[in-house]
Amino acid sequence: MPLEGKLALVTGSGRGIGRAIALKLASQGADIIVNFFRHRETAEQTAKDIQAKGVKAEVIRANVGSPAKINEMFDTIASKFGYLDILINNAASGVGRSVLDVDVKAWDWTMDINAKAALLCAQQAAKLMEERGGKMVSVSSLGSFLVLPTYAIVGISKAALETLTRYLAIELAPKGICVNAVAASAVETEALKFYIKEGLVKDTRQATPAGRMIIPEDVANVVAFLCSEEAFMIRGQTIIVDGGTSIAPLSAAGKEES
Amino acid sequence: MSVEEQIRSIVANIVHVDESIITRDSTFKDIKADSLDIVQALVAVEEAFDIEIPDEAAQNFQNFGDFVSYVENHVAEKEKA
Repeated sequence: MPLEGKLALVTGSGRGIGRAIALKLASQGADIIVNFFRHRETAEQTAKDIQAKGVKAEVIRANVGSPAKINEMFDTIASKFGYLDILINNAASGVGRSVLDVDVKAWDWTMDINAKAALLCAQQAAKLMEERGGKMVSVSSLGSFLVLPTYAIVGISKAALETLTRYLAIELAPKGICVNAVAASAVETEALKFYIKEGLVKDTRQATPAGRMIIPEDVANVVAFLCSEEAFMIRGQTIIVDGGTSIAPLSAAGKEES
Repeated sequence: MSVEEQIRSIVANIVHVDESIITRDSTFKDIKADSLDIVQALVAVEEAFDIEIPDEAAQNFQNFGDFVSYVENHVAEKEKA
């Protein structure tokens, strides 16, 4: 198995995309640290499902929006394992508002979790990867460059995340650490169902050229590839997983209306 | 300061309202707290009392009184342990 003996930290991996990534990496042999913040039950279920694949799973609760909690999480990893091979910056949050309604609290909350946490986790992870190299992959979204309704702060935070990915990729290359990102369009998760229900996002099932919604496993497959040695020469890139939506907006709109 | 007073102070500070308007019957909607206020209040209370309030539990809070009771029970359990 390609990731046998590797240790991966997946932030926000109790549910949705993070859970799919954790399970995918586990199926390739990696031991997984399941980080969660608000939903212990789902995180523990993810850990059980990982263990059922014959690898180790460790659950760590930490609010990655808090630098102190990030430090505590990495202190735990350092003392328990002493190394880390893969960091997946997946944990995300956000407040759905138009730009003019964004206040300082909403900005700080979103940027802290979606962008600052990735920086701080990468800095800590790099220390644990120092002697063995490693992989870092961040989960972004099309909102980093497309304007989506009420997505302003999250989109801005994802743009920061992608730029951070490029800088990390170059600065960490001499340490044998590969850094990339994956940007998905609307992924079929509990979070998306909420947005559709609230009328904030259209159900884009019909509007995706590939003919179906993106599912978490689509993202997980690309993340796993970026964590493999086959992706060694890909550095600082954001790979788009959207079934073609972003390059064919007109054809997608036509499909939707028909 | 009692557990209830401490939580009232934390919530009032986050939502930017006067403590006096928060009663045990108040809902988050009553005090005009948005979803971010609620999460931040939960996090702040967790840190203040060193307990965990999963969303699964928080979703069952009908009002401020339920929130206070949950924290009181968990603080008491922690003290016993």
